[in-house]
Amino acid sequence: MKKFLTGLPMALLACAALSAQATEAKLEQVELANDLPTLERGAETVATVCTGCHGLKYIKFRDLLNLGIDKDKVEAWRNGQPLDNTLQAQMPEDAARAAFNGAAPPDLSLMAAAREGGGNYLYSYLTGYHKSEKGELTNSVFPGTQMPDVLAGADAADEKQRADVEAKAKEVSSFLVWAADPHAQERKRMGYYVLVYVAFMTVLLYLWKKRIWREIDKRPKI
Amino acid sequence: MVNRVLSWVDQRFPLTFFIKHELTDYPTPRNLSYWWNFGFLAGFVLVLQLATGIFLAMHYKADSGMAFDSIQHIMRDVNYGWLLRYLHSTGASAFFVVVYVHMARTLYYGSYRAPRELLWWTGQVLLLLLMAISFMGYLLPWGQMSYWGAAVITNLFRATPYIGDQVVIWLRGDYGVGDATLTRFFALHYLFPFIIAGAVVIHLVALHTVRSSNPSGINLADKDNIPFHPYFTIKDMYGMGVYLFIFFLFVFFFPNTFIEPANNVPANPMQTPPHIVPEWYFLPFYAILRSVPDLVGGVVAMGLSVMIFAAMPFMDRSKIPGGANYRPWYRAMFYLFIVDIFVLGYVGSQPVTDNIVLLGRIATFIYFGTFLLLPFVSKIEEKRMRARALPPALQALFDKGVEGGK
Repeated sequence: MKKFLTGLPMALLACAALSAQATEAKLEQVELANDLPTLERGAETVATVCTGCHGLKYIKFRDLLNLGIDKDKVEAWRNGQPLDNTLQAQMPEDAARAAFNGAAPPDLSLMAAAREGGGNYLYSYLTGYHKSEKGELTNSVFPGTQMPDVLAGADAADEKQRADVEAKAKEVSSFLVWAADPHAQERKRMGYYVLVYVAFMTVLLYLWKKRIWREIDKRPKI
Repeated sequence: MVNRVLSWVDQRFPLTFFIKHELTDYPTPRNLSYWWNFGFLAGFVLVLQLATGIFLAMHYKADSGMAFDSIQHIMRDVNYGWLLRYLHSTGASAFFVVVYVHMARTLYYGSYRAPRELLWWTGQVLLLLLMAISFMGYLLPWGQMSYWGAAVITNLFRATPYIGDQVVIWLRGDYGVGDATLTRFFALHYLFPFIIAGAVVIHLVALHTVRSSNPSGINLADKDNIPFHPYFTIKDMYGMGVYLFIFFLFVFFFPNTFIEPANNVPANPMQTPPHIVPEWYFLPFYAILRSVPDLVGGVVAMGLSVMIFAAMPFMDRSKIPGGANYRPWYRAMFYLFIVDIFVLGYVGSQPVTDNIVLLGRIATFIYFGTFLLLPFVSKIEEKRMRARALPPALQALFDKGVEGGK
């Protein structure tokens, strides 16, 4: 049984390595910040650019305020709509379908959770536009995509423009990662307390167990 | 005062007797290893699933138009709804981890052997119920994987002779997986846990009749049995602490490990996901299903792969006690079987290619092969071991004059 215990994690690691290879080979791995200024800049791009075509049906303007985003900015984005309205696409779905060869722009609220790779996928996708050898615009993560190169990464003329595009892609990805699971930071904060508590309790239980078993443990092994 | 109340109760209900018989006087082998903690853990996970599930049901909407949104409502708007949901979704996987370890322990130490056959079979029923519950629960979030997983699995019942198509419609309540399917799965997902709880009581009654097996495989002398309480209550509490630490690590830091990304896309009957995979705990059985080219054959093979555990008391014909630790051949087969299950799990998670199909067929062959060879291997092993005298450790146990296994 001991051999099995040591072999099991190895087998699991091997499986994990194999599956990671298969799905995330071409995604860029990025560190996504989740500080408020980054999320605010990401929200700005999403609320002023992305919502031209995409909705975020699970994100209300109120959620943005609760996150701590500047009140004046949220006022400007919601433009008189009630605070409990969600971020809706400005383009009607039928018009969008007609404009993008039948593909309606998907809702973005859960996009970071709905793609293998999460934030890495979003970043790689947003920065993945480039010109093919024939001069056609294509995307290395999603070749047939109907979405235009909104951040204009394929047209970046120099390093500086490219860096701007990458920074924007990171901010948007950060915001969408937040939007997919708004309680993630709260969850992790709480998690540390829970784990410390359980670890402490478990140590006490172990000592208690030792104490109760003291006489039994002295007997010869069976 | 307490005594007077107790005696009042005891004249009307066997409370003191019950506590004595099942806890403070219940004899338990003192040499149980920590592998024997997993039965208690399974019960603990069941209670946690019931508790979180009931609160989730207060906010969930079993309606194909609202189900997906109601999950997001739970995740975003309900106070600590995200915690309830992650406890429940992680708990489903944890349930299978615990139950699979519990089963592996039973197989390794031969705990299914006489007189514990009925205990093992009630466990088999519990496994089937657990599988049914988790399958139905997985439809409720109404994501793409929920929908297509349910569509694929209900479709397997087409293999029923003569009335296959009718059975599929009867199960789904419609020609395709739809609102009728969702509402009935929800109703049954709520009902079955109580049936499980009843089956657990039967499992425990059987256990307390035949009592726990132990690593030596021989019934210990009375002096080597100790009361369940306080020795094993505290041991189980300590095990629960270790379990909770690992469980909460996943719940709070990696809760999406067990949620397919595709299930965060609402169910869409018009669009099949490129790669439909069941949850990890069904992967080995799914791989066996796919390894047989014929639908009926595949379904039968998959059903057998789950049910064949029930045959273990008949398949293992050796009379040598002590489980795999004293039985080199059986031990080799046990490890081969465990490795084979991991291979099958990997195969089940992969898209179908020639190599994967071949690997799946070999692994399926080994899966059933180990079971079918067991009667012969166990008989030969017993003969050889008897001819050479028992292993010293086992002989020593006999010499100590313990009763039981000859």
